[in-house]
Amino acid sequence: MLFFSFFKTLTNQTVTIELKNDIRIRGTLKSVDQYLNIKLDNVDVLDLDKYPHLSSVKNMFIRGSVVRYVMLPRSEVDIGLLEDATRREAANQAGKAK
Amino acid sequence: MSFFGFDTTLPRDRAAPSERRGIFETPDPFAEVARARLVQGFRGGDEDDDAIDFEDTYDGLGDQLDDDQDAFNDDTFGDDLGAPPVGKDFDFFGKTAQVADAIGEEQIRYSLQKPRAPAVAPVTADIIADPAVSAAAVQPKRTGYEKYSDPGYIPDLQAKSSVWGVQKKPEPTPMMIAQAQAQAQAQAHAQAQAQAQAQAQAQAQARAKKMLSLEEVEAQLRRYPSSLPGQIPVSLPQSMPEPSHPLQRAQMPPLPEGFAQLPPELLHAQFAKGVPPPAQLLHQPPMVPDPYPLAPHAPNMPMHLLQNANLPPQHMGPPQRQMIPPGGPQAQQQQPPPPSQSMRANNAQLPVITNPQQLMHLSEEQRVAYLMEDAKRAKRNHKIFLLSKGNGLMTPQDKNFITRIQLQQLVAAAGNVVDTDSEAVLAEDFYYQVYSQIRGAPRQHPHQPLGHFAQTYLLQTGNRLGGHGNRRQFQNADNHMQRMQQQVQRAVEAAKAKPKNKQLIIEGSLGKISFGNAKAPKPMLNLKRPESSEGGKLPKKPQTDLSLSDRKSILTNIEGVYSTLMEMEDMERTMPPPPDENDPEAIQKHMEWRQNVRSLNQKLWRELKVMEPIVPNTNTPHPFIAFLSYPKGKKAIPRIFRHIDQEQRVTILTMIVVHLDTLDVVRRAQLMPGETQPSPVVREAIDLFSQTVMPSLLGYVNEAPFNIIIGLLGLVIAQTHVQLVAKTRIGLGILTMLLSRAEIVKEADQASERDWQQWVEKFNVLFDTLEPTFADIFPSSINAGDDMYVWQFLAAVGIGASPDQQQRLVIAVKDRVMETVTYSKTLPADMASQRLGNVNLFMRAIGLDVELLG
Repeated sequence: MLFFSFFKTLTNQTVTIELKNDIRIRGTLKSVDQYLNIKLDNVDVLDLDKYPHLSSVKNMFIRGSVVRYVMLPRSEVDIGLLEDATRREAANQAGKAK
Repeated sequence: MSFFGFDTTLPRDRAAPSERRGIFETPDPFAEVARARLVQGFRGGDEDDDAIDFEDTYDGLGDQLDDDQDAFNDDTFGDDLGAPPVGKDFDFFGKTAQVADAIGEEQIRYSLQKPRAPAVAPVTADIIADPAVSAAAVQPKRTGYEKYSDPGYIPDLQAKSSVWGVQKKPEPTPMMIAQAQAQAQAQAHAQAQAQAQAQAQAQAQARAKKMLSLEEVEAQLRRYPSSLPGQIPVSLPQSMPEPSHPLQRAQMPPLPEGFAQLPPELLHAQFAKGVPPPAQLLHQPPMVPDPYPLAPHAPNMPMHLLQNANLPPQHMGPPQRQMIPPGGPQAQQQQPPPPSQSMRANNAQLPVITNPQQLMHLSEEQRVAYLMEDAKRAKRNHKIFLLSKGNGLMTPQDKNFITRIQLQQLVAAAGNVVDTDSEAVLAEDFYYQVYSQIRGAPRQHPHQPLGHFAQTYLLQTGNRLGGHGNRRQFQNADNHMQRMQQQVQRAVEAAKAKPKNKQLIIEGSLGKISFGNAKAPKPMLNLKRPESSEGGKLPKKPQTDLSLSDRKSILTNIEGVYSTLMEMEDMERTMPPPPDENDPEAIQKHMEWRQNVRSLNQKLWRELKVMEPIVPNTNTPHPFIAFLSYPKGKKAIPRIFRHIDQEQRVTILTMIVVHLDTLDVVRRAQLMPGETQPSPVVREAIDLFSQTVMPSLLGYVNEAPFNIIIGLLGLVIAQTHVQLVAKTRIGLGILTMLLSRAEIVKEADQASERDWQQWVEKFNVLFDTLEPTFADIFPSSINAGDDMYVWQFLAAVGIGASPDQQQRLVIAVKDRVMETVTYSKTLPADMASQRLGNVNLFMRAIGLDVELLG
């Protein structure tokens, strides 16, 4: 749930999402679910020349499994907190595995 | 006797209408008309005065029909006489009802297409004009006349205004007549004749009375003073005992609007028909539209006409006339329609469709608006009608059953969401929860417990059902809601109690179906960690313990420290309230908690390895210094300092001071020859150190007793290469820290004489050691940027220095001061002032000012 928890804090931030087919989309993250499906608003496709068919797309729903990267605004990430959250998650996982 | 018991004598064979008038109690029905017209005239009606509405000629004779005189009904309908079945030709009601929807829709469509034209629906007209054909096409199941075997039965009058209002003779009149005659022969021959007769009679009367002068009208008015003033005196003779029929009653008050809105052409048509002798009736000008033909279309006859068909023949003529008055459409449309659903849907359209004349008197705008509204209404009604098809398919119980199933699914799917308290939420959703706390209110509801969800849902459903307003239904719904709420609660409890089944094994099947939920998605791989792997790790552990300084073990240490820190932070959060002295249980709890905190503190302390023995002259750094060499180690220091006591803090400070020259930020910050500044990695480390560790140390030093400061300074001098340390930012920072604290203590007169002597001794050693290198402690290049920390250090030294030392200090850094002042002149104003301010920090400490340097 760590990633879900993490991405939830990024709602209404501008993120750039690179899909596994190399399309990069910048937009406002509207919501994310536990599958890391992503809803983007005010979509802006980078390299629009290559993907003209996306030129009129204003918002989209991205299935989590096709996402390669999510580029985040650095200022919106609390690294120390994220580290701790990761530690907790690891502890939880270790606890579950036993 | 004729088939219907009508008077079959043709009008031309009959005596003149005027002679027959004496039979009736209303000798002059047109007096009423005249009065109505008078009333209208007073209202300023702008109608052509000559135009007499056909409806005005309604003489109220229909009210005299006698319901008791249906003795011949059996003859007429052949009921229970063993006669062959009558057949379905009479089932006009049934046939019309069958096509009612089509008619209604067609009318809507047509009225939308041609808003200005009087609504004439060809399809409808065809259907109505040719009932024989439609009868052949549509086979009703019943004749529609079973009802009439009950003498008390009052027919369910379906006021199909569409039947009345839209007719237009589609073909030239002779054909019409021929058709009508064919029909009449088939079913209502006599009736048709009677109608024609009645028409002729009425028209004759109309012609006779048309020329009434105003005086005559007034005279007639005076003759009938007993008319109720509010009543529109058209329909009913005063002597009419009581309305014997709902339809007749409905006909009684034809609205004044009805008169006003009858179009002139209608009247013209009537007069055109009326003026020639009855024989010429068949040849009326084809050009004149006749919206309300009295044509002998049998289906147009209302039920009551058929019912009363066996009235004595002498009554039949005029009553017929009355039965199908030209104003019929208006009168009919005002009848309360039977409450059938489909009928209701159609009924909404009635005013427009059946009464095109009304429309014609509206302005263009109004008409369009009206039609638009009508279309909207029609659409909505149609929708409602479509939707209502499913009405009543499910009982409330059925619906509740479905809802319960859905809620149970919801509970099952959400798993143990219900019983998650804040602890569990924090464990699952730590980052989000803390982040939203740190950075303001959560942007969305982070966690909606099912309890709320279910309650909201139930509440909504309750409102919806309750909205029907039916009290009984409401109570019912309420009851269901209660039951459902209980059900949901039970389901939730069951879901809580039951350990979650992650697999479903259907009986008789070989496979298992595993399922997940939102919290724990179905695992793709389910690997059980073999027990032996735990054993396989064991040999490694002594090894890590053995080498304390390798990277991996250092990182493991750091992680250990962090997990302990998090535990301690959790402990802090769960601190019980301050114990009440009278509550031993609370005291016990508190004691336990303190015990826990203490043990955690000890654990943390062990993990920090501060107390590891210091091994002199070794290449491997002390574990704690190694700990500090990693960024996350540095970052841990502020958190650690919050959880340790003063003694532990001073121990840490001592460890750092002792190992000052082996500290990574000092050791690696030494400049190689030719380097102007440390590598970016080192600079980053230095920055991090100054941001994390230094404030913690400073926080302690600012409260530290003077003897500890003296001890620390002694340690620096004794244990470290002071000259190397002084060349680094961190080293200078720590020295500045100690010197300025000593100065503050001195200023506050807190230092004892002996302590101060001790301090001055140490300080002199430090000064002497550093004097040769004072020029080298600056960043090598003047434009390298930030040298404030150096000036701070020099200021700290200058304050504590003796006048002799101050002079030596000035000599040592004089060049740099001058350089900086000169250099600052080449800089933009704000940067220049900043640089000069830094220098001034030092200059003022020794009683000088940059200004003096000019």
